[in-house]
Amino acid sequence: MQAKAKRYPEEAARLLKEKPQVRTAVTGATLHFERNRLKAYGEIDAEAWRERAKAVKNHLLTHLDHYLELAEKRLRENGVQVHWAETPEDAHRVLREVVARHGVRRAVKAKSMLTEELGVNPLLESLGVEVYETDLGEYLIQLLGEPPSHIVGPAIHLPLEEIQRLFHQRFGTPLEASPEELAQVARRVLREAFLTAELGISGANFLVAETGTLALMENEGNIRLSTSLPRVHVAFVGLEKLLPRFQDLGLFLPLTARAATGQRLSTFVSLLQGPARPGEEGPEEVHVVLVDHGRTALLHDPEAWEVLRCVRCGACLNACPVYRQTGGHPYGYVYSGPIGAVLDPGLLGLEEAHPLPFASTLCGACQEACPVKIPIPKLLLTWRHRAAEEGLSPAWEKAAMGAFLKVMASPTLYRLFSRALRGLPLPQDLLPLLRAWTQGRGPLKPSPKPFHELWQTLKEAKEEGDGG
Amino acid sequence: MEAKTRILARVRRALKDRPKALLPEHPHATFPEDPLDLFLKRLGENGAEGHRVDRAEALALLKELLPGFPGAAFGKGVPPELRPPLPELPPEEAPLGISWALFAVAETGTVALSAEDGRRTQLLPPAHLVLVEAERVYPTLLMALSHLGPLPSALGLHSGPSKSADIGQVMVKGVHGPGRLMVVVLI
Repeated sequence: MQAKAKRYPEEAARLLKEKPQVRTAVTGATLHFERNRLKAYGEIDAEAWRERAKAVKNHLLTHLDHYLELAEKRLRENGVQVHWAETPEDAHRVLREVVARHGVRRAVKAKSMLTEELGVNPLLESLGVEVYETDLGEYLIQLLGEPPSHIVGPAIHLPLEEIQRLFHQRFGTPLEASPEELAQVARRVLREAFLTAELGISGANFLVAETGTLALMENEGNIRLSTSLPRVHVAFVGLEKLLPRFQDLGLFLPLTARAATGQRLSTFVSLLQGPARPGEEGPEEVHVVLVDHGRTALLHDPEAWEVLRCVRCGACLNACPVYRQTGGHPYGYVYSGPIGAVLDPGLLGLEEAHPLPFASTLCGACQEACPVKIPIPKLLLTWRHRAAEEGLSPAWEKAAMGAFLKVMASPTLYRLFSRALRGLPLPQDLLPLLRAWTQGRGPLKPSPKPFHELWQTLKEAKEEGDGG
Repeated sequence: MEAKTRILARVRRALKDRPKALLPEHPHATFPEDPLDLFLKRLGENGAEGHRVDRAEALALLKELLPGFPGAAFGKGVPPELRPPLPELPPEEAPLGISWALFAVAETGTVALSAEDGRRTQLLPPAHLVLVEAERVYPTLLMALSHLGPLPSALGLHSGPSKSADIGQVMVKGVHGPGRLMVVVLI
């Protein structure tokens, strides 16, 4: 995927102005997810679960070479063909080969953020393969030619009316068709695709090194179908998606479901061991592509490596008051919201993604929601710090911060400046920099006396009172 | 092989000076509640229908549950004596799939379905009836996964009817998989 993260400020502003309905739709959906998550966390000892999940992932990541080799060995023993991809091109090579050898004309796809990273759909289309996204939300945005705007709910930015219009144009359904009717239309189209596709493509929520098990979570059944009906299944797995032991699924499956949607477990979980055995239904060929694409560089980072614990539940997006205003599109890359703001600079390079760590109020809600306790606010500051050091922040900001530091460090200067500011008339557009803030807000009304003078007066009054 | 060698070399370089983290054990939660009661309660909360019945009376219950179904697709593991007298249809056409579960999980209201039983029957018909033996109902997912024997080529954990809220945040059932899940626990 072509990253446009650099344009975040302009894109966010444009979206808020041109498509105000997105804010309403995203706010409604994320608040709903967030309420469900809070309820689901409330049922368990969430602190202990999250602490344990963090420890398991830290163990995995600090022994990643061992577990990668173990996973490859087990997968091969299970009859799975294993490929290693450093770049999207490496991943494309695997697909080209599979498409050519099996004469693939049609592919069904389970929702996967990694395949967005790798540009799997454009590649398949260039090979003449018809690609069907089969997650309902993902199917909607495929019809619209849009990227996903949320890790778990890719179409949460679409109001019902827009989907009704889309289906009316594409399938001739009535403009007032209910969500049930629309879903039935999609079911019919996609059922046909499931039954005729030669290739099923998926990501993975987890890959268990001990047993070579691929674990996939979903609610619709499209992932089970995509990995069961076509002759060939290709799964793309980021290096960080491994788990050491099969029993770790006993923690990670329910914890991720609670974090993502507030469910005790996703409606469908697929635990896949490889190709169908004699007499069984299922794919005759299974490929796992282990994908780096920036992950080893992140692992090398002494601070940001912790983002590799991420299980892609989207809980931080739902908790984020900034994400909620726009949804994911303005972030300009596959991963949006708080996790995108700390992951994208690592995957794309800070030069490409430097505005994202600033798209936060540092309120800390993301960290409270995270099932693997990624210190997102701390990492946002890390990336901001690096952006300033690398000269990626504007010159005026650097100068302003330098001046601010001088003034704040000297009581004399501080008093001088605060008196000057209080004395000024402060018209709303005095400082063009502040216009974005002052527009739509009441005028700034400085207190007639500075705090330290008020404090002094209060103290004197109290001492007098105590004395008398 | 080159990509693998380079990736592993980069991983080792990245980890050279990083302290190794310990792997924690998963504590098994004590579960005072009767797993069967909890299982049936959770099935209901997940939007599925749960029933328990003596094995001897199971067939009678099935006949009661399945009026109006003109036929069904059957999983390989469904014992002949528990097959309701319905014409067998291919899963692509059947209005109902009947499967035999490998195990079930009470805390999450889940039935586990093996590829050995037949994947199409579990997924294609719009309604799904699953039979599970009471002694195969585990209190927690962790316990079930810890007691599992050799893994089948695919294990599907189903915890309710297929659903989606992707269209305007309205919950819709039966999107791709079965929109109706019935579970019969055999005692």
